[in-house]
Amino acid sequence: MTLLEVQHLTKNFGGLTANDDISFHMEKGELVGLIGPNGAGKTTLFNCISGLHAVTSGRIVFDGEDITPLKAHEVARRGLARTFQVYVAAGDLTVEENVMVGCFMKTASRSRARAHADQILRELNIRDLSDYMVSELPVAAQKRVTMATAIGSDPKLLLLDEVAAGLNPNEVEAIMASIRHVHDEMGITVMLIEHVMELVMKVTHRVIVLDYGRKIAEGDPESISTNPQVIKAYLGERYVKEQRSSAG
Amino acid sequence: MDILVSSLFAGLLIGMVLALVALGLTIIFGVMDIVNFAHGEFLMIGMYTGLLTAQATGVDPLFTLPVAGAVGFALGIICYYGFIKFVMRGPMVAQLLGTFGLMLFLRNLALLIFGSEDRSLHHGVLVGKSFELGMGIIIPATKLAAAGLSVAAFVAVWLLMNRTKVGKALTATALNPQGARYMGIPTERMNALAWGIGGGSATIAGALIVNFWSVNPFVGLLFTMIAFAIVALGGFGSVPGAFFAGLVVGLITEIPGFWDFMSYTFEFEWMMDVPMTSFKYMWVYVAYFVIMVFRPRGLFGWKQ
Amino acid sequence: METIKNALDFSDFPRLDLTVAGAVALCLIIFPLFPLSSFAMSTMIQFLMFALYGMGWNTIGGYGGQVDLGKAQYVGIGAYTTAVMLIRWDIPFWVSMPIGVCFAVTWSFIIGYPLFRLKGHYFAIATIATSLVLKDIFEVWEFVGAARGLEISPIKYHPPDFLRLIFREDIYYFYFILGFFFLGILYINWFRKSRLGYQLRSIKDNEDMARSLGINVHWAKIKTYAIATGFVSVVGSFHACYIKNIEPEDTMSLDISILIALMAMLGGAGSLWGPIIGAGILIPLKSYLKEWLGAQAGLVGIDLILYALIIMLISAYEPRGVWGIIEKIRRRKRA
Repeated sequence: MTLLEVQHLTKNFGGLTANDDISFHMEKGELVGLIGPNGAGKTTLFNCISGLHAVTSGRIVFDGEDITPLKAHEVARRGLARTFQVYVAAGDLTVEENVMVGCFMKTASRSRARAHADQILRELNIRDLSDYMVSELPVAAQKRVTMATAIGSDPKLLLLDEVAAGLNPNEVEAIMASIRHVHDEMGITVMLIEHVMELVMKVTHRVIVLDYGRKIAEGDPESISTNPQVIKAYLGERYVKEQRSSAG
Repeated sequence: MDILVSSLFAGLLIGMVLALVALGLTIIFGVMDIVNFAHGEFLMIGMYTGLLTAQATGVDPLFTLPVAGAVGFALGIICYYGFIKFVMRGPMVAQLLGTFGLMLFLRNLALLIFGSEDRSLHHGVLVGKSFELGMGIIIPATKLAAAGLSVAAFVAVWLLMNRTKVGKALTATALNPQGARYMGIPTERMNALAWGIGGGSATIAGALIVNFWSVNPFVGLLFTMIAFAIVALGGFGSVPGAFFAGLVVGLITEIPGFWDFMSYTFEFEWMMDVPMTSFKYMWVYVAYFVIMVFRPRGLFGWKQ
Repeated sequence: METIKNALDFSDFPRLDLTVAGAVALCLIIFPLFPLSSFAMSTMIQFLMFALYGMGWNTIGGYGGQVDLGKAQYVGIGAYTTAVMLIRWDIPFWVSMPIGVCFAVTWSFIIGYPLFRLKGHYFAIATIATSLVLKDIFEVWEFVGAARGLEISPIKYHPPDFLRLIFREDIYYFYFILGFFFLGILYINWFRKSRLGYQLRSIKDNEDMARSLGINVHWAKIKTYAIATGFVSVVGSFHACYIKNIEPEDTMSLDISILIALMAMLGGAGSLWGPIIGAGILIPLKSYLKEWLGAQAGLVGIDLILYALIIMLISAYEPRGVWGIIEKIRRRKRA
């Protein structure tokens, strides 16, 4: 069953085309990676899907409904949650309260929201952080908190924006386990933007590659890692030519 | 007809002065992204400086401009190093509150020193003189001089910003403070300079205004609000925008004149009944609100 | 049921806080038993009023982080509704007060909808602009007495009049406002733990994040603005009955708006006790400074200079206010 379908999505910022005619779809229960060099338009694509940006043209269908014209909070209420690459915690919420905000989407009762938040924190193994201010935590922990908050809203689809960026190998390992848990045990469909290739290769079922706003490749992790177009996008034209000339 | 033309003239003339009032605010905002609530108080201090210098030395009030400018420049720099620098480290709320505190401080200091009564100038070559343009249009010489000198001061600051090395460094700080710092521009000093120029242009405007406007410690707020409206209309941080927006706001303050013109020309009874002069400045506030809500980038541009 | 439980539940505060709060509450209740000057009494009533104003401001300004500098317009709406209704039609306080709240809240929706399209500085300045516009209108509106304002003359009534809230002795006013004060604390205690309260704090944290958690940011701000407005309007109505003499320059001036915001910010915006602490420091300071320095030494304005210096110090060194300092010390102890 198709959960998310993006059809010919284009997003212009003034003269700049950040997303150019992107189409793809996701089945329920999939775990898809979205990769590409810096500035390829990955985060813009997330912003368009989650309704923070209005698209220039194209259509986004989520769970059988056209969500293209909806605002961000309306999209979220239909079961599409996301995290942010750069998270600035300016306020004074503790970890538990932060996750509760997510839980409040489905309930108005504080006790129920708190119970749900506690359960999520336990499942993601960060229960011991609950009384800290989010702003006091190191980056790695903050990223897991934002994941927990998004999960609190009980989504069908979770978009993760670089949850592993800037983490050390141990922390990557831990967050990988969390992502697997979210997908396997909680049954949430996941799409993730990631630069840490190890994580993408190990956990995703399918990978979509963007470059200069266009989709240049799609396929399982192994085929993507050997796709010449993808290598070219990441390492540059010259590198590929040099390789070719040294080989030939 | 003559009401219409003289309102138009009066609006444009006062608009030129108001543009100078707003200039300092827009420069400070452009360079530092901070809104200075004490801006009108700088102007009030300029008014007192002009008035007292003229009374003490007996020179014509128009020659007090350099004194007023120097006082404002120094005051701006003192405020920056003594206070604003520290406020900038905090969140936006702190900055709002901080410049607000500065406003209260300066206002009540003036109250303590000068008392609350209105004071105005009674001497000077231009005071009381006026030109007649025909059609019954009379323009007070003080306003004409103030408008002309405001434009001159405005152009001088514009040239400073665009044609000198210091001005370019200021602009660079406005566009990208961090980048400017890497390029070796002393951004701290640039910020102080922005406050100096901001303060100086406000006090010069004050010394010009005092020729035809009486001063008391409470005049500042009105000018702060007018300056906000102009800066909003011209685009926050835009210097040329401030000039044209100043003219527009000048015309807005003359709405009562236009109102009278309409009511007398078409003999609308109901229009005559409305005490429009009481709403003279209300339109400035309304303009700010409407501009911000419906045209938040201003009419003439936006800081990139 | 859960609502009442949440309103009465203060258990997330440390025991020390609750002990201090209880002691203060007790002192407030028995306050009139002390042999006091009428000056002290009126200062106390002012303190309670401004603590309530501050609590109202704190919902949108503290928990929501939207610096509102236009609360005086709602003081005006509340005060004028009560005064006009009493003077013209002899409508008692308990009827005019809710009507005033309705007017204020309606007005807050009308201007709140466009207002909250603005952020930060622009929002703050726009709130000032709306407040000044309303003040200008009231200053020429003959129906409400224009710039002269309105006066409720107590001679026409027979104090103590509990329906119209007209009393000769301040002690009645004191207990009424104290009652409102306790109710206000309970309401804010409920509010900060309600769904809206949490959502608002999330909005202050990061608006895009809040949106992606299904929060209608614009609407949540407007709703909270209306709550803040309700608080201010109730106290405004009380103000009319207590002061009995209202003019646009007194009730709707920018200074009142600033003072309201200041209570909360000095004490600690976004905390339950902040506005109370702020009012507890500022109001006595203001009235005694004015009494000693202003009236007795003839130094007009010196009270407000000291006042301004406090604001400047707070904004430069501890923008989170007194409560911020307390929390900082506590965290250092814990670490």
